[in-house]
Formats: sequence, structure tokens, C-alpha cells
Amino acid sequence: MYGNGQVQILQRLFSRATVVALFLVVLALLAVNFYTYLQDRKLQSVSLGALRMASWNLAQLGAEAAAFDREMALMSHGVGDAEAFSLRYDVLWSRYDYLLHSQESLPTRRHQDNRRRLEDLFQQLQALEPDIRQRLAQPEADWQPVAEAWERQKAGVAQLVIDNFVGDETGRLMAGVEASRDRMAKLRMVTLAVLLAVFVFLALAMMFLRRQSRVDPVTGLPNSHYLRTLRRVEPDRAVITCEIRAFQLVLSEYGSDAVNQLVRLFVRKLRQQLEAPDQLIQVSQGEFVLLLRPRPGQALEATVNQLVAATHFDWHTPESVVHISATYGVDPHGEAGDTDWNARYQQAHRALAQAHLDGLPYYIAGADLRRRIREERTIHNGLVRFFNGEAGSLRLFLVYQPIVLAENRHHITGAEVLLRCQDDELGFVPPNRVVDICERVGLGKVLGRWLFRRVASETRALYCDLGFRGQLSINLNPAMLTEQLVDDVQALLLDPGLPPSALCMEITEDHAALDFDRINDLIGRLHQLGVSVALDDFGTGHSSLEYVRELRVDRLKIDRCFVDGIEHSEDKSRFLGSIIAMAQQAYMKSVIEGVENEAQWQQVRHLGGTLIQGYHAYRPMPLADYLALLADRQTVSPVQAPGAGRGAGKRPRG
Amino acid sequence: MKPRIALFALLFSLLSLPLQAAPKLTLISADRQQVLDRDQLEALPQTTIVTTSPYFEGTATFTGPTLARVLDALGVSGRSQATFLALNDYRVSGSLDELLSLDAIVATRKDGQAMSVRDRGPFWIMLPLSERPELDDPLYHRFMVWQLSGIELE
Repeated sequence: MYGNGQVQILQRLFSRATVVALFLVVLALLAVNFYTYLQDRKLQSVSLGALRMASWNLAQLGAEAAAFDREMALMSHGVGDAEAFSLRYDVLWSRYDYLLHSQESLPTRRHQDNRRRLEDLFQQLQALEPDIRQRLAQPEADWQPVAEAWERQKAGVAQLVIDNFVGDETGRLMAGVEASRDRMAKLRMVTLAVLLAVFVFLALAMMFLRRQSRVDPVTGLPNSHYLRTLRRVEPDRAVITCEIRAFQLVLSEYGSDAVNQLVRLFVRKLRQQLEAPDQLIQVSQGEFVLLLRPRPGQALEATVNQLVAATHFDWHTPESVVHISATYGVDPHGEAGDTDWNARYQQAHRALAQAHLDGLPYYIAGADLRRRIREERTIHNGLVRFFNGEAGSLRLFLVYQPIVLAENRHHITGAEVLLRCQDDELGFVPPNRVVDICERVGLGKVLGRWLFRRVASETRALYCDLGFRGQLSINLNPAMLTEQLVDDVQALLLDPGLPPSALCMEITEDHAALDFDRINDLIGRLHQLGVSVALDDFGTGHSSLEYVRELRVDRLKIDRCFVDGIEHSEDKSRFLGSIIAMAQQAYMKSVIEGVENEAQWQQVRHLGGTLIQGYHAYRPMPLADYLALLADRQTVSPVQAPGAGRGAGKRPRG
Repeated sequence: MKPRIALFALLFSLLSLPLQAAPKLTLISADRQQVLDRDQLEALPQTTIVTTSPYFEGTATFTGPTLARVLDALGVSGRSQATFLALNDYRVSGSLDELLSLDAIVATRKDGQAMSVRDRGPFWIMLPLSERPELDDPLYHRFMVWQLSGIELE
């Protein structure tokens, strides 16, 4: 995505020092702002409106004084008009009155010692009144003394106006206002610049965080967040998932610091194999995804082999040497026009799972794997609908394979219930596949309980009404092997009316492998109900003999592989005989599976004392056929004791 | 010097209103002029405004005809602009529509007393500031002309 150097620059840009520095700058700016606020607070009392009003009032005072002055001059020259003179006198009077008493002129009065000076001037004007009245009454009066008194006042008015407009204090005030304005303008610029810087920083930080969140902190590779933003991938690219083998073990053994080193080393080795357009994404600590452009002239298999070889190395830690290798799952290319990332990724994952299953270093998904995924999706959907009781293409049903005595194939001791699955699109689906899918997607318990209910509803009449007492073997899928099993058996099988003595739960070695104590506990509780237990497919798993020794099962179902070829080989036959003998020694009844021809039958019969389940006797059949078989004249089968039942079957001989 | 002063005296005696004796309001429209004295103004229907103002302390009661009535006496058709003239040579103009929207009166009395020039009489354009606080603003204060001597319509 981007280089290491770039990351370092960004990391330095968003280091603590930078953030603290920026914080300090903003703090300093705040402090300066506060300081200027304090500085300018005293100027705030000066409103521009008040200043304008004061100027106007003083100008008017000046003008009205001048008008009176003109009248006074005319009077003292003997050409004045008494009315005009009086008017100007009264107008000037009202101006003083206004200046001294109105609310509007308050700022003017308050400025410096204006109030005192105005009061003095008003008093002087009022002092003129008696003289003026006296002279207005006698036409030829001498106005000179009044004019002289007025001259002094006039000078006072002029001085007042001058001081207010251009005086020291006023000058200082104006200078202060101007300085404040300049300061504010500069501060505004600085604030703007800092805001811009902070904004740019935040924007970069957001970008950095976004990128950072999509990058693994150890290797700098794009990570799973990045992967989630991926929507499509070019069809020609191979999608490869890669997992460091036994990574969790290495992690628990050497700790995360050492493992980080290992991951870096691993990534370096992987990177050396990549070409420019290839992409390497780290999904988790030990898991990667590669998007590979096809190499001209090289088969994908060869490329993957190179990857395998490159990531196959010895890792030297201070204490020891660890062998490191990786497993790859490859989805070679999308189908034409198929750019859906999720499908491709899932495909690669399937291939990886397959590689794990098969113990291979890599697995390349082909058409078969793709088909299998599609099929499994179909089966999964079908199962969900089936269990929900919705109409769908998939249908589960049961068949019964009779188990007979080796000595008499007409003596039917019971049957094993087998699951069958039919899909309109896929046809017959092998039951173990159905079980696997159910277990994987969490439908195991649903399947098991469905099976119990189904068995009970199909065979209830046979056991309750017809008094049949033959064994009914039911396979338990792994999800059923929990504490709840006993309750399920009671509620779903015994409560509907099936006799416990007729029921046999079959568990397979693989499923029982977990914990002998726990399984034995379950077996014990089933025994308390009167239900018996069989070990299925004996001989195919691991440590078979240990199972026979440890598990308290009642029956051993011997796998078909021990029957294969016994008719041709004395050794094989003897071996089977010894297994049966061993089972007898352990108080277990043997059921031989997979007897397919008369020769095998005779051999097994010769070994003696066993039950047989196989094609040569009876194939699995629908319930109706099974009922018909039981009703056949030839057939011998166990029924309830006379007097207690209404059994239709024949009594067993001997 | 003397002739010029004499000229001044002549000029002033012509312009000055004979105020002290009988205050008059001169209404001038382009084509005609009308002079109303206090009695004539008080003969018109009277309106009272009780208000505070920036020009005096407390509340005062002003009476006089509304500005609209006074202008009706002159006739306002075809006129859009009015100018108030004051004894102290103050003058202010405004659009007739705006001025008529202010609910102004031409006050002839303050608290029942005729106003002298010293009390900013004889006439004072008064707005109902207390009743319409939105008018208590320098924008409208400038129309509250005291020592009103004339109104000119254009």
C-alpha cells in the first residue's frame, strides 16, 4: 500500500511530542486571546453610538453658541432683533439643559470633567439673563458689558469642544481603540492560521488512523480490516490462503515478542516470492492471503511449490531451533466473469481445510471442490428447510437393515436404523455426508432428535401393538453424545412406547475418542434405562483395543474390512475368529458387518455364536418391506411373551 | 463692515420667526404654504402620548394632533418626502410613508403645559416610545424634532 518510510514520517507527525506542541500552541493562543480581552475591556465602555452622539451634541453646542454669538454681535452694534436674540438665547439655554439632564447625553457628561465645565458654562449663561432682560427693555442700552461677559463664555465653549475632539485624553482613547482594532485583526489572522493548521493536522490524523487501522502493526501489511473492504478480485488472480503450521503452539511456547520476529521473517520470505502486482494481506498473526497474478510460462502448481519451499525454514531462537512451515489453500482462478471476492476467499479456505485434512503442504481447489462446496450449500439449505418442515428438494427418510443369526438367516433378531437422504437435484446423498454437514453447521442435535422422533413414530405400532421385541439399533451422531442424550432417549423413544430392552445405541470409535469417563458415564445411564450400547465400525479407528477394554458397551460391530477376503484366506478367517473370541471374553456380543456372499457367510457361521448384518442376508429396506419380512412365514423373530401381547410374529425356536 | 452686518441683520430678521410672541408652525408644500398657530393646532382632534424618552427623566404626557392630521390640513397627495425644520436649524428628512407609520404627534403641550423654547417647545414631534418599544432606537430618535418650526413636503 505504501512504504515503510512514509509510515515512519506519519508516525513522527502523530507522535506525542507533535500533539503536545500543537496543544501548547492552541493554549498559548487562548492565553493571548484572554490577555487582549482584558486589555480591551476598558475600551468596551466606549460605544461607537455614544461617541457619535457626543460629537453631534458638542457640534450642536458649538453651532448654537455661534448663532447666539452672531445675535449678540448685531445687538452690540445696535442692529439686533430682540426676538431673534431671545430665540438664540433660549435655544442655547435648552442645549445646556439637554446636555446636563438628558439620558442621551450621559456619555458626553461623563467624559473627563465635561459635567463640571457644562454646569459652569450654563451658570454663566443664566447669569447673563437679568442684564439681557434689562437691556431688551430699553432700546438704546449699552450691550458692551454683556458682550464682553459672553466673549469669555464663548472661549470656554470653544475650549470644551476642542478638548473633546482633539484633547489629550480623547487622543489616547482613539489611539487605544485603534490599537485594539489592529490587535484584533492580527489575532484573528493568527487564530485563523492555527485553526487551519489544526484542521489539516486532524485531517491527516484521520487519514493516518484509517490507514493505520488497515495495516498490521508488526509487519506493515494490509490486514483483515483492509480485507473486509475488498469487494472484487480479478478473475485471473489466484486467491491463496496461507497458514503458518502449528502457529498457536509456537506462540504458546515462545511468547509474542519472539513470534512477532518470526512473523516478520516469514513475511520477508514470502515477499521475496511475490511480483509487483501481487498482493499480500495479513488476516491474523499467522494467517495470510495472497492475490497472485499468473506467472507467464509457469504453472500455478510450480509457483505454489516455490512458495512452499520458500516458507519452509529453520527459525533460530536464542534457545533453540524451530522448524517452520506453512500450509496453502489455493483457488486458482475464478470462473469466467466471477469477481465475487467472498466466493473466491471461501474457496481458498476450503482448499486450505482440505490441505489440512489430507496433511498436504497445499491444495489447489479444482472443479470438484467447487462442485462440492456448491453441493454442500444445497444440502445445507435443504436440511434447514427439511427440519423446518418447509417444502424443499431434500428429503430424509429411514431404512431398516435386518440383523440375523449366523446359524439361521431367517431368524431376525432386529434391525439397524439407517439414515437415507434424497435430493431432487443431487440424487442420493451419502448419510455420513449429511451427518458431517449437520455436525459442522450446528444441526447435529436437530438431526439426532429428528431421527429419534422418526424412529419412534415409524416403529411404535410394531412394538406397542404387534409386541415385536427385536433389537432396534440407532446410530448416534457426535452432537448427541452429551448429558442430554439420556433425557432425549427417554422423551423421544421410551415415552412414545418403545421398550428399552429393544433399543441399542451405536457409537463409533471416532466419536467416542474424546473421554472414556464421560462416555462410560453416559453408557451407564443408558443401561439404567435398560438401553444397550454398541461400538460401531470396530477396527477402523485408532487404538481400537483400548476402546474395547475401556468402554462398557454391550455389542461390538465388527467392520466389514475384517470380512473381506475371509473366504480366500485362512489367516484372515482366523483373525476374525480371534476378534469374535475376544469380544466373547469381554462379555460382548459380536455383530459382523458386510457379509456379502455365501462363502463368507459359511465362514462366519463356522466361527459361531454371532449376529450378521449384510447384503447377503438382507439389504436395508423401507419399513413396509421390513414389516412384510417379519410377517413372512419363514421368518422367526422375537415377540412379547404370550398372554401379555397381541403379537403377530412367530415365536423364536430354541 | 457696517453694510455687511446690516445685510445680515436684514436677512436674520426676515428668516427668524416671531416665536416669543405667538408660536407658529409653517407648513410648506411646493405650491402653497400654510401657517398654523398653537390654537389652530389644538383645535384639531387631540391625541395623547404617555411615554419615557432619552430626553427627560421619568414619564411625561404629551398632547397634540397626530402628524397625519396636521399634514392632511395641507394635503399630502403626490408628496413622498417630508422635512422637519427646527428653530435651532436642525432639519431631518424621511419618506412620508415611514413618517406616517410612526404614530407621531405634533405635541403642543407637555404635562398639560405649553412648552417654551427652553423646554424644547413650542412644538415637539413625539413618538409613542413606551407603547412601541421598537421605535426607541437612534434610527427613529432623529425624527423626534424639538423646537419644531416647520414641515416641508416634497
